[in-house]
This record gives sequence, structure tokens and C-alpha cells, in this order.
Amino acid sequence: MGRLYYLFLIFIFLLLSGCSDPGSQSIRFALASTPISLDPRYATDATSSRINRLLYQRLVDFDGQFKMQPAVANWHKISEKHYRFKLNASRGYFADGKRLSASDVQATYSYILDPDNASPHRGSIQLIDRIVLIDSLTVDFYLKKPDPLFPGYLVIGIVPQQVAVRKQSLNKKPKGSGGFDFIAWPDASRLVLQRKTDKQQIEFVYVHDATVRALKLMRGEVDLLQNDLPRELVHYLGSKKEISLHHLAGNNFTYIGFNVSDPVLNNPTIRKAVAHAINRPALVKYLLGGKTRLANALLVPEHWAGLKNAKAYDYDPELARSLLQSQGYNRNKPLILEYKTSSDPFRIRIATIIQQQLNEVGIKVRLKSFDWGTFYGDIKNGRFQMYSLSWVGIKNPDIFRYVFHSQSIPPQGANRGRYVNQKVDGLIERAETSADVASRSQYYRDLQKQLLHDLPYIPLWYEEHFVASRNNISGYRLAADGNYDGLFMAVKKYR
Amino acid sequence: MRQYGLAVWIIIVWVTISILGPFLATESHTIQLQVILNGPDMHNWFGYDDLGRSVFHRLLAGSLTSCIVAFTVIAISVTFGTILGTISAYLGGVVDLIVVRLIDIFLAFPGILLAIALAGILGPGIDNVVIALSVVGWVGFARLARAQTLSLKHREHVVAARALGTRKRIIILRHLIPLISAPLLIEATFGIAAVIIAEAGLSFLGLGVQAPDASWGSMIRDGARYMLVAPHLVIIPGAALMIVVLSVNLLGDRLRDRLDVKTDNMEQD
Amino acid sequence: MLRLLITRLLSTAVVVLGVVCLVFLLIHLVPGDPVDVMLGENAQMADRQALREALGLNQPIGNQLLTYIGNLFKGDLGQSLHSRTPVSSMLLERIPATVELALVSLLVACLIAFPLGIIAALNRGKAWDKTAMGVSLLGVSVPNFLLGPVLILLFSISLGWLPVSGKDGLASMVLPAITLGTALAAVLSRMVRSTLLEVLHEDYIRTARAKGLSHIRVVIFHALPNAMLPIITLLGLQLGVLLGGAVITETVFSWPGIGKLTIDAIMKRDYPVVQACVLLISITYVVVNVFTDIVYGWIDPRVRLGDRS
Repeated sequence: MGRLYYLFLIFIFLLLSGCSDPGSQSIRFALASTPISLDPRYATDATSSRINRLLYQRLVDFDGQFKMQPAVANWHKISEKHYRFKLNASRGYFADGKRLSASDVQATYSYILDPDNASPHRGSIQLIDRIVLIDSLTVDFYLKKPDPLFPGYLVIGIVPQQVAVRKQSLNKKPKGSGGFDFIAWPDASRLVLQRKTDKQQIEFVYVHDATVRALKLMRGEVDLLQNDLPRELVHYLGSKKEISLHHLAGNNFTYIGFNVSDPVLNNPTIRKAVAHAINRPALVKYLLGGKTRLANALLVPEHWAGLKNAKAYDYDPELARSLLQSQGYNRNKPLILEYKTSSDPFRIRIATIIQQQLNEVGIKVRLKSFDWGTFYGDIKNGRFQMYSLSWVGIKNPDIFRYVFHSQSIPPQGANRGRYVNQKVDGLIERAETSADVASRSQYYRDLQKQLLHDLPYIPLWYEEHFVASRNNISGYRLAADGNYDGLFMAVKKYR
Repeated sequence: MRQYGLAVWIIIVWVTISILGPFLATESHTIQLQVILNGPDMHNWFGYDDLGRSVFHRLLAGSLTSCIVAFTVIAISVTFGTILGTISAYLGGVVDLIVVRLIDIFLAFPGILLAIALAGILGPGIDNVVIALSVVGWVGFARLARAQTLSLKHREHVVAARALGTRKRIIILRHLIPLISAPLLIEATFGIAAVIIAEAGLSFLGLGVQAPDASWGSMIRDGARYMLVAPHLVIIPGAALMIVVLSVNLLGDRLRDRLDVKTDNMEQD
Repeated sequence: MLRLLITRLLSTAVVVLGVVCLVFLLIHLVPGDPVDVMLGENAQMADRQALREALGLNQPIGNQLLTYIGNLFKGDLGQSLHSRTPVSSMLLERIPATVELALVSLLVACLIAFPLGIIAALNRGKAWDKTAMGVSLLGVSVPNFLLGPVLILLFSISLGWLPVSGKDGLASMVLPAITLGTALAAVLSRMVRSTLLEVLHEDYIRTARAKGLSHIRVVIFHALPNAMLPIITLLGLQLGVLLGGAVITETVFSWPGIGKLTIDAIMKRDYPVVQACVLLISITYVVVNVFTDIVYGWIDPRVRLGDRS
């Protein structure tokens, strides 16, 4: 009987030891969504893009002021439609030992430009006419038309020439020259990378549920988590002494989009009424993190093309009501709007509050939430009246053409609201062709002022970023667009 | 009444507040941002949810949802199932064969799997929940009605009626159905409990009521997201659900004991 | 016996065919144009046409059904709309997790139900009986989407003994198995009790008692083995409770099994996957039922040896 007892104890011990593993050497980073593709030619979601920044290198990057800067290549403009890129010393090595060279660059971008490959990034670089290899370090880009923002489009991760030529897929087996080696991706929940400089392993652990993520952090099963937690859980984590919290103001822009071609929402007064009916400060105060800032334009004020001192739409329910009445809506004939969201619980929460706020000025809102695929499809096809989303990681003002130009209605671009304004078109085009930065930024500012007046979008806020880490992690710095580049410097101390 | 005790009182309370619900639960959609996730205290016994809405009011609103769905689904299922089952058993032959196969096919889907799939495919919303649960619910009653009718078919009063040339419809309505009403009533009672749970389950999965309407199931699901900081959001609707379902099941148990139904001859459920 | 076998198999075949037809019909119940609903993100005119053809939706419904059945025989369950991987490989990936959970839950259920049922049968009509059956009633009244979060609240969050969710070692199976198992245990304990009570009225029990054996020995060594037969049959039927309950339990605990796959697919409108999962679960249930029936028929000498009644 004694032996049975010991066996029992061992069994229980084994059972319980399946739990946490605090002694693990790798830095474990919890993710709220699993990366979809580690192939930079195809990845569009934020998580995949952020991880690809660690695995791959790119020609151009953006600095803190959102100005283009060389990443792995320096460029100079030979003429308005001819740019020469020369690879610099920071170019890295692929896993097979070969160093990043110009042929890899040419192969990557040619692959994306080829419509047969159906890369979602093709649209952003389709002004490239041809790519010419000069030597092993130099490559020339010829454009179809001049665009001073051009180098800023070349931010896509570079894949080895062999891969591009042989049309291999890198979705699950990335091959990059970036600061991190790909080690393993056995299942959706675990992705392992290794930092080249010191062989520090980083493990991306996919934990869908926010509560579980927070608990795992508290128990030491993961070391870091970034964003994607309800504010209440963030406070809760902050109160734990083994966890440190850092917040940073972000530049991811959250907005409400209108379908301007809708017969009801075609009326700018109605859109203004909705804007005045939303109590943004209350939403920010109670639902969002401390460093969230109210937004009045797509680009943050500190952007070189950003709008400073814009005139905001204050929370003014009285004004909203009178505007509605001026358009013939009252208690007997209320305005009815349909608000679509994805199934993300946080978005639904925000939408429910907005529904209530609009209700208070007499607008009846029908809230419909859908799974992402259906939601996104509806948005692109114009089957909506209003919706809410965010633009993540916007650096280049080419976003304005993509979103607001009359020729950018999906599938050409992302002008989902079918907004058509010739003045805005003109400002976009003038900005694209102007030679100097000063006049360019002035055009963009005027543009944003006009957009604020017309309200195809109601700007809501710039979300903050936060990172919660265990106390033995140091050196992880947040980035304003929420990327994971902080992992280049993060260090894990052991007891 | 006395022997049923507490269970019946709870059910009466439940049905009453469900009927009165729309008049009492006036604030089930009222958002008060400043009291988000506040727990129960002296003034508000049930606290507030993640949007600052009163849990008490939402509980009442959810009560109405479960009540309506339960009674509607059971009414449909009992009616349809009984008619089909009795007719099938009485007529026999090919009709019976087909119906039995049909019942078997529906019974091949365990639990509420078919209801989940149907609700998922038809789309969210309470009406689709009622449809999905009714499609799944009639089967149990049909089987019971059929089994009961089969055993009653050869009773003397039925044989006599047939000898007298009474029309089939009259035989079924007047001579068969009243006799099988007892086991059907018991099955219906347990059925109500099952539907309450099923509706809550579908809402928990996101297939039932949509935001911002309340259902105990969706309250539990939304509450589970904040379990770390506001456990009352799960415990309170959960307790309500458990108490009501327990009472209905108790009532069913007592009814079964009292009506002394012999189900030995029939297959166990 | 052979005749019984054949009739049973034939009727099962009919049922399976019916299930397949019903599952096939599911996709046609989608309100609106199923292709529009399904494509969502990447819909272009060309894609829509291609998908319609690939799904055979442009064919008359009779042809579609035949194609569907034909594909099933080939093992082709279609392709996931979301990830473009073959559905059959997705299913194979997730089946082990559900099987593990089901088996452990079955174990938990038996560990709870047998003692409970035996105690109730032994003390028929007295306090212990009422208590045991009360506990069983409680088990039926607490759904698994409530029990799950409450267990998490207690054991993961407050006490920190067990993981909250996910499949991560042996400890992570405890709470899901208890949640799923107790639902089954509630029903099972009643069955154990009633079957035992029936057996206890048999003559051979009276003989054993008359021989002077203690009540407990009689129950455990004479009554229980004979009660096992109907109980095992009922267990097979109750597999359905496990399979049906697994869907919600797996969702509560993010357990990567077939149940969670079903719900995820419903949420993503990935109908081919939904169809395949529902088909798999139901067919499994039907097959287990038939199997149990046959085994029972074979083991029980009364059935095996004689249709002479």
C-alpha cells in the first residue's frame, strides 16, 4: 500500500508541474492574435507585420518624426522618376549564409509587382515601372510618374532571390536576413525566434483570452505582453508588485467611418450632428489607457505633415439635437442608423457606448457585429452606414490617396465610404507633385482641415500602447506604432 | 401545492418577473461609465457590468428572454411532436417507418449540436434560436408520444371506439392524447429546463441575443472576460440560471413521482 | 442474432444517410447568398464564380447531394474557406485532443457516478438517497458554461492551483474534464441507481442475501456486475452527452479539439468546416451506439442465444 501512496504523490506532482516554467531561458512574449503569414510579400495583419520586422530587413524605414530614413540601403534621386538604391553595411545574412544583395531586392519587388502573384502589397508599389540591377549592391527603380514619397513605399521585407524566383511560400517558414533567426513554429500557439547578436531566444506565445494572458503574466508563464487588454485588467496587473507597466502615446488612429454615398449620410449636417453627439473624452477617460489622445486628423500632430491646433468637434448634445432638427428629425421621426463592428469585444463595447450616446440625442442606432471576414467584406463593398476601425502604423501620407481619393473606391483602394470631393482630390494630387517638403506638408494640412470639415471619418483617438512585463525583463522599449522592435534590446535577468 | 414547496414558488416568481420584466427592467440598457464593473454594495445589491449597466436590471431582462424562449420552444415542440408521434404510432405501416427513421436521424445529433449548427448558420438573433431549438426539440416529444400511443393502441376503449367506426381524428384527440398527457407534461417540464439551458448556452456562444440585449448566457460570457476583477458578473447570472433550472427540474421530479408514471417499458432518455 | 445484426446495420445505414443529407442541407440554409457570406475578405467577381463552381452551387441540388456523398466516400471533406487547408487534415489534427478529453471525462464521470449511484441504491428512500439524487439534480441544473467559469474562478484565479485554459500539460485537463464529467455523472448516477435497484429485486440477490452475505458484498459483487451490462449500454448512449457537451466545454477552456473547431468555424462562417465537424460528431455517435448495441447483444446471453422469446 505504501508504494501505491508514493506513486500517487508522484502522479499528483507530475500533474501539477505541468503548470508554469519560470526558469525558462527564453523571453516569452504573449500575443493576442496568432501571426497569419511570415511571408512579408503577403502579410497584412499587424501581428505578422510586426514579427516580420524582426525576421526581415527592408530598404527604407521611418524615424520618430515619420521621415523616411535608410534602413539597409541609402538612396539618391537621379531624376524624378529614377532612384538609385545602394545597400549599406547594415545588410544582414540569410540563414544559408548568403548576404543580402541587390538581386534579392530586385527579385522581391519584381515578385510583388507581378499581378499573377496576387500580393496585397502590389497596390502600394505599382508606380514602379521597372527595376534594374546595376551591381551586387546597387539597384535602380524607374517610376511611371514622379512621387516624392516614393522611397517610403519600399518598407517591405526582403526575401532571398531563390525564394522569389522559385515562387516558394514563406508563410510558415520565413527566410529573412533580419536581426532574428527563425527557429520553429510547431503550432499556432508557439513561435520561436532567436536573436542573432546574443542567441537569446524569443518565444511568441499565442494566448487568445485576455484573462488567461494576464494570469500567465502574473504566474510567470510569460514574461511580456503588449496591448489588447481591457483597461480594468491593465490596472489590475499594475497593482501587482512583480509586474511593471509602461505606457506610451501611440499613433494608431481610431475612427468612425461613414458611407458618404448613403442617402441619409450624404448630408454633412447629419455627420456633424453625430460628431457632436459623441462624448469622446468620457470614452477615453473610462475605457482607454491613460496616454490615449483625442484625434482630429489621421496623422498625429507631431508628424511632419500633421495638423496642429485643429478645431475639434466638441461634445455638444444640444447642438447635435438642433442640427438634427434642422434636417427634419425629431422624436416622432428619429434618425435611424446602422453601426457595424467586428466581433472584437472591445469594439463592441465602444460601439455600445456610442449607441447609447447617440440615443441621447435622438438617433436610434442598430448595432450589428459580425465575424471579421463578413465585416471586412461588407465594409469594402459599401454595405454599411457607419463602422469603426483603426489605421495602424501609418507613416507615409500616401494614405490619403489610398483612403480619400475619388479613384480609391474598393477594390482600387480603401475609400470605403465612397467619399468624392474634387477639392480633396486636387490637394492630394498637388501634394504628390510638389517639390519641397514645406509646400507638401502645407497641402496635407489643408487636406486634413478639409476632411475635418467634411467628416467622411469622425476622428476618435490615437490609442496608447502599454507593455506589462515581469520585473526581470529590462530594456524593452515601446514604439509609437506598437511594433515589437523593443525585442532587439530586451534582456531577461535570472535569479 | 404544499408538497412541491419552494420549487414552485421560485418558478412563479420567475414567470412573474419575466412578464413584468419590460416594466421593471427599465435600465437594462442604461450605460453609466463611472460605475463600470462596480461590485455589489449596499445600494446596488448586484453591482454593475462592464458598461456600467445595472446587473439587476439586466438580470430581469434576461429572465424575460429565457422565459419567452423556453415556453415558445416547448409549446411548438410539444404540439408538433405529439401530433406527429401519435399519428405515426396509430397509423403504423410506412408512415410509422418513415417517422421513426426521421426521429432516429434527428436523434443522431448529440445534445444541442444540431441547434448550434442551425443557429450558427441561420445567423444570430433570438428568433433563430427559437427556430433552431424547436427543430431539435420536437423529436423527444414525438418519440415519447409514439411510444405511449403504441402501448395504448390496443386498449379496450380504443378498440371499442374503432369498432364503433369513430373517425381516426376523434380517436386520437379524444381517446389517446388525454391519456398520454401525463408523461408529456413531465417531459415538457424537464424540457423547459433544458431549453433554458440551451438558450443560455447558445447566447453564451454568441449565437443568441445580440448586444446590447441581455440574456443570462451572454451575461455569463461577457462576465467571464472580467473574472479577474469582477467575479460578480459571472456569479450572479449564473446563480439565477441555476436556481430557476433547479426549480423546474425539481418540479419535474415531483410531478413524476406524483403522477407515478411507469417508464420502465420505454427506452431510457 | 445474425438477423438482429443485419436489421440493425440496415437501419443504421438509413440513419447515416439521413444525417449526411441533413448536414449537406445546412449550407443551403444560409440566409442570402452563401458564397457572398463565405468569401468576405477576398471576394472578387472571379473568386465568387470560382467558389460557386468549386462548391458546386451552380448545379441542381440533386447533383450537389450526389457529389457531396461521392466526395465523402473519397474522404474529401472540402477545403476550409479561411485557411484553404483540406478540412480532413484539420479534423485529424484536432481529434486527439477531444478524444483525450472525452476519455478522461468519462473516467471522472464514472468515479463520481458509481459511488453516488451505489450509495443511493443502498439507502433507498432514506436521507443518503435523497442527498445523492439531489447532488445529481444539481449536476443536471448547472450547465457546463457556468460550471467551467466558476471552477476557473475558484481553482485558477483564486487558488492558482490549475491553469485557466488551453492544452498545456496534464494539469490543464483537470478542470475541463471535471466540467464535462460532472454533466455526465449527474445523468449516469441516476441510471446506476435505477439499474441497481432493478437488479436488487432479482431472485439471485435474494438467494445471496439468504445465504447470509452482507448487504454491501451483495451489492458490489453480485448486483453490480449484473447491472454493468445495461449501464455500459447506457454509457455508450451517453457518449452523446459528452460529445455534445464537449462543444461548449472546449470553448470555455479553449481546448483545441473538434468542439472548439466547430464553434470557431461557425464564428468565421467557414461552412465546409462546420459541416464536416457536425458530420464527424454525429456519425461517431451513431457508430458508437450501434457498436454498443451489438456488443451488448453479443455479451448478454439472453440476446445472443435466443430470439426464442
